Order: sequence, then structure tokens, then C-alpha cells
Amino acid sequence: MSTTFLPCGVYHENYPQDHAWWQTKFVKGKMILLFLLVFVVIPLLADAYWISVCNQIGYTILGALGVQLLIGYCGQVTLGHAAFLAVGAYTSTLLILEFPWPKFLIDWGIAYPISIVIAAVVAGIWSVLFGLPSAKVKGFYLILTTMAAQFITVDFVITQYVSQIGGRGQAFSLPPGTIKIGPWVIDSDQKVYFMMLILVIMCVIGLANLLRSRAGRAWVAIRDNDISAEVMGINIVKYKLLAFFVAGFIGGIAGAFWISNLAAISPEHFPWFWSLWLVGVILIGGVGSIHGAIFGSIFMVVVMELLQLAIMPLADTYPKLLMDFLFIKEAAFGLAICAFLIFEPNGLAYRWWQIKNYFNLWPFSY
Amino acid sequence: MELFLMTLTTGIMVGGIYALIALGWVLIYKCSGVLNLAMGELTLIGAYVSLSFYSMGIPFLLALLFSLIIGFILGILTERIFLDRLIGEPILTVIMVTVGLSFFFRGIVELIWGTDTRVFTPPVFPLEPIHIGPLIVGQVYLWSFVAAIILLCIFVVFFQYTRWGLAMQATADDEMAALSLGVSARFVYATAWAIAFMAAGVGGTLLGNINGLNISVGYLGLLVLPAVVLGGLNSVPGAIMGGIIIGVLQNLSGAYLDRYFPGGVKEIAPFVFMAVFLLFKPYGLWGWERIERV
Repeated sequence: MSTTFLPCGVYHENYPQDHAWWQTKFVKGKMILLFLLVFVVIPLLADAYWISVCNQIGYTILGALGVQLLIGYCGQVTLGHAAFLAVGAYTSTLLILEFPWPKFLIDWGIAYPISIVIAAVVAGIWSVLFGLPSAKVKGFYLILTTMAAQFITVDFVITQYVSQIGGRGQAFSLPPGTIKIGPWVIDSDQKVYFMMLILVIMCVIGLANLLRSRAGRAWVAIRDNDISAEVMGINIVKYKLLAFFVAGFIGGIAGAFWISNLAAISPEHFPWFWSLWLVGVILIGGVGSIHGAIFGSIFMVVVMELLQLAIMPLADTYPKLLMDFLFIKEAAFGLAICAFLIFEPNGLAYRWWQIKNYFNLWPFSY
Repeated sequence: MELFLMTLTTGIMVGGIYALIALGWVLIYKCSGVLNLAMGELTLIGAYVSLSFYSMGIPFLLALLFSLIIGFILGILTERIFLDRLIGEPILTVIMVTVGLSFFFRGIVELIWGTDTRVFTPPVFPLEPIHIGPLIVGQVYLWSFVAAIILLCIFVVFFQYTRWGLAMQATADDEMAALSLGVSARFVYATAWAIAFMAAGVGGTLLGNINGLNISVGYLGLLVLPAVVLGGLNSVPGAIMGGIIIGVLQNLSGAYLDRYFPGGVKEIAPFVFMAVFLLFKPYGLWGWERIERV
């Protein structure tokens, strides 16, 4: 997707202006309003249910960002991203539960933030491990190796071995009060919400900046044509693996964040379904744009919640419906993906881009 | 040694079923270039349909025939409704449509038939094992293998000698040339999907006979993916060999590695093997090596 057109009468006179994130006063105002909305208005107005929906959205965004980087920017189709979320979540949980933290670290509430960072790095390295075949294989063959990542990591390593650590059985439950950042114990949806916001903003800014650096341009070049990229002097293997690392890193953050919202984690939280779901999210949102990951997450989560709200009243008369909701959700998700790919292959982000351009160019749209 | 031989035979027999499903997969890929990730769900649908007919009291072969007919219709419908519009779209789009389809089908299957394990009652194949020399083989496996081999032969004959089969081969080989010779590509795509549905349905029915039928049979259907990758995506003999190799590998690893890595070695061994194998032969055993030019 190309850049947005500037409104009439706005000119760039130097490079800093050209590189600025918020290029006009209007954009600045809009972004400040957005920040006000997410930081003040939503926490004030939304009830606990909608806050938890927002958390779900944030988690999906964090997961989808990595997928977007791999598929949308680097062209490496991955169908096993939930594996890296799982690695992040389990690393963080194990660090919190098993690692002999010095007392003062726990008191200061640094243990969990440190564990998030370590979890992200571990997930990144794990992701590079499964990205290694990308040095040699392409296309569908690569898709299969990422699928292998999912089955090996979640269904085998985590279910059979990692879950046995500490003899807790299948699910690791986190005692209340263990998840603590600084003086705040993350125990309510509100606090999770703020943590989610900060993480999402950090990841989005980090990824967006990475994408306009040398690495980002290299990724796009690899996506567009890897042979020409190599001819132009890009070390493809290095940049592909870097993409896998960054995607795994963000995935690790997502997983480590999500444990704050779960009372207990188990391998069932990271099924193959979830990997496919994340890919579906970016397809619906739009491939090759960070907006796409965000719009797709919001769209999918909200639509699924609305579907649930619509079905729940019927459940009184048809009790079987409550059980079947999961299946209806699956079928609806499948249909949504198909419909978007057939009727709106560029995703929601493309519409957004069109709308923005329409207003920027208005009234002279030529 | 006896254990080895027994797992080997079981593996080959289960592999025959995988080969059948894999054949359907390769067919779609060769004819229309669609990488179908919904194969597991196609397996499920066929299996459940024939199970439903069978539990209505219809004889097994007739039930299988009905499920073939329904598979044929569903295949053509799927192709017409979803895949037909996507000819020429990027590969990711097409793959993800099949992923969407797999969600859709799975949701529908779960809605209609629930998630409990169902078995073919009364059992279709006699339960007593057969002794072949020193080997003891379950009759289910043996008959499934025989059925799979017969169907494989029918498919091969279909491709080599019938008009439709030849049209499909022509399209797979060179779509443009086939079109100019008067082959309807759309018809070929639809037939490919119909055949894939039917092959998967038979495969699923046979798999369902072995261990009972539930959603995890769909996972077994997914095992065709390592099989086709192993054989090379666009090779029919490769699909058959790949299916058998995967079956053998799965059973051998279940028999020997389970001691060292308790748990689900059997389920993931094909994927591990495939991932490592791809590092050495990126296009599978007999896949076409694509020479890319800028």
C-alpha cells in the first residue's frame, strides 16, 4: 500500500518534516484524540465486560503484529505463530514460578517485566530455529515447516515436557499477586487494559520504526522479489531470520502479557486454530500494513463478541445453542475469511487508506 | 524383529490410506495450483456422511457409494462457490481461502455430528486378526489397504485412459495449451475438487473404521501434507510413496521412539521428519525444481 497523499497546500521543506510520524497539525490532533480515547474515555465509560473485550483485542493485535511482519512485510507465510506465543507465555510463567528471584526484585515488582523481556528473547530464538528452513525452502514448503513448529512446540514439547516441570500437571496456575509491575499488582481487567495499551503502543512504534529502517526495506525487497533483493546486496538469509526473530519476539511479548489475564495457562490456550486465526486477522485487516493488524483484530474480536451477544438470548429457548456456539464461531470465522478474500482482498486497511485520501484530496480528487 | 515387521506392515497399510487422500490433494494442486489446507476436513465430511448412512442400516458399500456421490456434489459446489473466483490470485489468498473453508467445514461438522467419538456399529470388518506367516494383521488394516489400493488403481486408470482424465492431465501440464485444444479448465477444476472430496471421503471412512471417528481423524487427514511434501508437490507417484512413507514412519516412531520420548511422538514424527527432510531436499523427492528468474 502506498503512502497517503498530503492535503492540498502542505509541503515538506526538509528531511525531518518528510520523516515525521505526524506530518500535519490535523494528524497530530487526531492522534492526541485517539490517545485520549484509549487512555481516558474507554476506561471511564466501558464496563468490565467491554474492557475484557478490549484486552482480547490487544492480545490479538500483539499476536497479529508478528504475523503481519512475517507475511505482510517479509513474505514468509507462517501458520504456526501460536507456538511462539506459547513459548513466551510458558517462559514467563516458569520464570515467575520457578526462578529463585532475589527478594528485592519481587518487592520492587521488576520480576514480571524482566520475565517478559526474557520470554520475548526466548520466543524470538525459538522462532529463528523454525525459520532456519526458510533459508532454503519457499512457498508452500515453508508453510509446512511453520506448521511443524506449531505441532512440535505446543503439542509435543510443551504438553509433554514443559508442563511436567514442577509437577503441577497440565495447567500452570498463577497465584494472585505474583504478577506485579512496580507497585501495581495486575489483578483487575482495568490494570491489564493499561498494561496492554502500553505494550501495544510500544510494539507498534517499535515495529513501525523498524520497518522504515534498512531492515524494513530489506524485508519488503525480499517479499517483492527475493532474487532481485539478493542481487541488490541484501543478505536474504540474515534478514529472513531477523524477521523471524522480531516476529517471535513480539509473539513472546504477547504470550507473556496474556498470562496476566489468565488464571492458569495450559497448552489448550495455544491451539493451531489460534495460529490460523491470527493469519485470518491480518487477511481481513489487510496484508502489508500495521493498520491491517489493528483493524483486523478489532473487527474479528468485536464481530465474534456481537455474534455471541446475538446468540445468547436464543440460548434460553435452545440450550444446545450455548454448546454449539464455539462451532458456529468457527464456521463464521471461516466464512468471514473466505468472503473477505473474495470480495475485499485488500482488507480493511485499504478502505481506510481510501477514506483518508478522499478527505485529503477533497474537493479535487484528481 | 517381529515387532519391526509388524509395525512395518501396519505402517504400509495405513500409509495406503494416506496415499489415497494425498492423491486427491496432489490432483487439486496439479490441475489448479490450489494448495489445499482443508484436506483434513474433507476427510471428516466424507467419513461422517458414510457413517451416517451406515448407521441408518444401509450396507457398507452402498453407504460408501452414497458418500462418494455426496462428496462429488460438495466438491463441485465448493469449487464453484469459493475457488472459482480466485483463479489467478496470489498463492497466499488461495491458501487462506482453503483455511477459511477448513474452519467452515469443521464448524459445520461439529454442529451436525458433535464431538463425541463414533464407531461403525456393527463393525464393518471382522475383528479377528489374520495370521500371515509370523505376522498378525488386523483385518481392518488389511481390507482398508486393499480398498485403498483398488481405488488408487481406479484413479490411475482414470487418468491414463479416460477422456476426462486425459483432459485433467493436459490442464495440469499446460493450462494454456489445454485451453486452446478445447479443454474446459473450469470443468477440470471442478472435477479435481470432486475427486479430491471423494478420495478424502473414502480415506476418512477407512480411517474411521480403524479407530472410531471423531474430530481427530481430521488431524490424520492433515498428515497428507507431510506426505505430499515428501513426495514433491506435483508428483502423483510421489504422493503415493509419500503417503506410505509417512504411514511407516509414524508407526515405527510410535513403536520405537515412544520409550524415549513418551507422549505424542507418533503424531509429530511426520512433521519433524518433513521439516528436516526439506532442509536437504527442498522440493521433496520428485517435485519439480522451479528455476526462478528475475
